[in-house]
Amino acid sequence: MYYKFSGFTQKLTGSGLASVYSPQGLRPGVPAEAPAMVFATPTKLVSGAGTALEYMGANQVPDLQRLFQIADGTPVHLKRGVPDRLLYRTTMALTVGGALYCLVALYIAANPSKK
Amino acid sequence: MTHQAHAYHMVDPSPWPLTGAVAALLMTSGLAVWFHFHSTVLMTLGTVLVLLTMYQWWRDIVREGTFQGHHTPPVQKGLRYGMILFITSEVFFFLGFFWAFYHSSLAPTPELGGCWPPTGIITLDPFEVPLLNTAVLLASGVTVTWAHHSIMEGERKQAIHSLTLTILLGFYFTFLQAMEYYEAPFTIADGVYGSTFFVATGFHGLHVIIGSTFLAVCLLRQIRYHFTSEHHFGFEAAAWYWHFVDVVWLFLYISIYWWGS
Repeated sequence: MYYKFSGFTQKLTGSGLASVYSPQGLRPGVPAEAPAMVFATPTKLVSGAGTALEYMGANQVPDLQRLFQIADGTPVHLKRGVPDRLLYRTTMALTVGGALYCLVALYIAANPSKK
Repeated sequence: MTHQAHAYHMVDPSPWPLTGAVAALLMTSGLAVWFHFHSTVLMTLGTVLVLLTMYQWWRDIVREGTFQGHHTPPVQKGLRYGMILFITSEVFFFLGFFWAFYHSSLAPTPELGGCWPPTGIITLDPFEVPLLNTAVLLASGVTVTWAHHSIMEGERKQAIHSLTLTILLGFYFTFLQAMEYYEAPFTIADGVYGSTFFVATGFHGLHVIIGSTFLAVCLLRQIRYHFTSEHHFGFEAAAWYWHFVDVVWLFLYISIYWWGS
């Protein structure tokens, strides 16, 4: 049994003899030297706010996680406030109204006019 | 949130099963009302309601998984089993249409002229557009794998590009199939050949459209940073579904387009 470093899992995995002697796709792992110590958060320049990192918009997931994890007992389908309530009430109104309308339509369909 | 001593997801009470059930009632009753009284009001209402339910239910699942962290490893395991069972049921759904096709084509009745394709049916050439369609779907299988590896490697840009490419290939397939339907020298009303051909390829086309939509939702979620290199089951489910659709096409191509012509 031979082992190689897997680029996908970042772990050692079993492999054949040939791939051990000519490893493919080995990515640079943990740097050998310790990174320079940072004693304070460096000031972020507005102009250099990582355009490459924020390809197609910034990451809002942490903010949304904070919002949706507020423990206020609101069920998940109403957690975002007004837009959620608006959509929910529209759907519920259509559900109740549609069910009643459906019952009427089925009643009419069940009683055809006797000519 | 109260303390929870286990890794399972205790769901909030949800209105969507109720609205979905009423939507199904409205759609079926609406279909009957449409057929009998030529009024599409009820069916349109049902369709709107089912779309609203689908949007909000799946939106809530994204909230639960990505924003609330309820999709823990054991929950993900359940989702995996669910998706596997769903795709298995889809396999049997298509098996029925293949059964109908082989039942009709392996021993063609005298009414068909005792041959397959039946007398008078001019079939589509399998080495024209259908072969291109096969290539398009196989290529999309490659790009979806590229997208998966990009997500696993944290290559955001590549993942977005390859996923976009996959969706475009899906749309291209749908476009080619629509063109092929338009140009077909037979119709769904042309006996058992037309029925089996259009029902099988039609349901496959519907599944391609569903798969493209599923992948498009994944693209949107990828752009919005929902997928991490460790946790991206929504994408994996879409990829499984896409591969399933791809395999069904290969069987359709070999059976109906090639052998059946």
